[in-house]
Amino acid sequence: MTTVRKFITTGKEFEMAKSIVQNNIRKLRFEAGEMTQQELADKARVSRQTIVAIEKGNYSPSLELAFRLSHIFDTPLEEVFSYDPKDDVPGKV
Amino acid sequence: MTYQEKQNVVNIFSALVVTPIFAWLVFQRHQQGQFDLTEDFRQWGIVFLIFIGVSVAARVIIQIIFHIGNAIATREEKTPVEDERDKLVKLKATRNSYYAFTSGFVVSVIGLALGMPVYWIFIAFVVFGMIAEIIDNGSQIYYYRKGV
Repeated sequence: MTTVRKFITTGKEFEMAKSIVQNNIRKLRFEAGEMTQQELADKARVSRQTIVAIEKGNYSPSLELAFRLSHIFDTPLEEVFSYDPKDDVPGKV
Repeated sequence: MTYQEKQNVVNIFSALVVTPIFAWLVFQRHQQGQFDLTEDFRQWGIVFLIFIGVSVAARVIIQIIFHIGNAIATREEKTPVEDERDKLVKLKATRNSYYAFTSGFVVSVIGLALGMPVYWIFIAFVVFGMIAEIIDNGSQIYYYRKGV
């Protein structure tokens, strides 16, 4: 569990982050043979900066891109992205 | 600095260079008496149409120079694809520039109601058009850095 948490990118870890949706993309990239951000970006048909922003929690992807990412990692959506209602406080977004 | 951020900095630079230089050239000709911008509003139409052409041509040249310079500096020939995040950033930046230009329009209309000369509204269009463009590109840099 500790290992998994190490890779989880939460909004709280970054000063400018504001997304209430957490993601495991960094961990999943690592598990997928240390896939680079550029490789993932090419597969998802987005720019590398968008992958960086999602990992940092600076950007919540569209549903379409979220499903595309989950398909690339061959993982259920809820294992790529997670949502905690406790973080969803008024004024946060 | 990412490609998009650099491009927005170049756009701000273009706005700060092209518009004032063109305005200065027009003002010089106005002072020389080549055309009268205080009474003949048809001349403003011609000036604006010329400005659109000059502005587009100047920006195309500046963008080409930027692309070549960026490709040499970064050794990346491909420009990044525009994805959903880029579109969202542009959408929010356009909203901000719209607010800026609309505010300028309201200010100039108030000025008109208070007795300012009519040609001031055209000058306000140019000034607030430039400000709106700077806000557009500045907002994009802000959203790319802070997140959307």
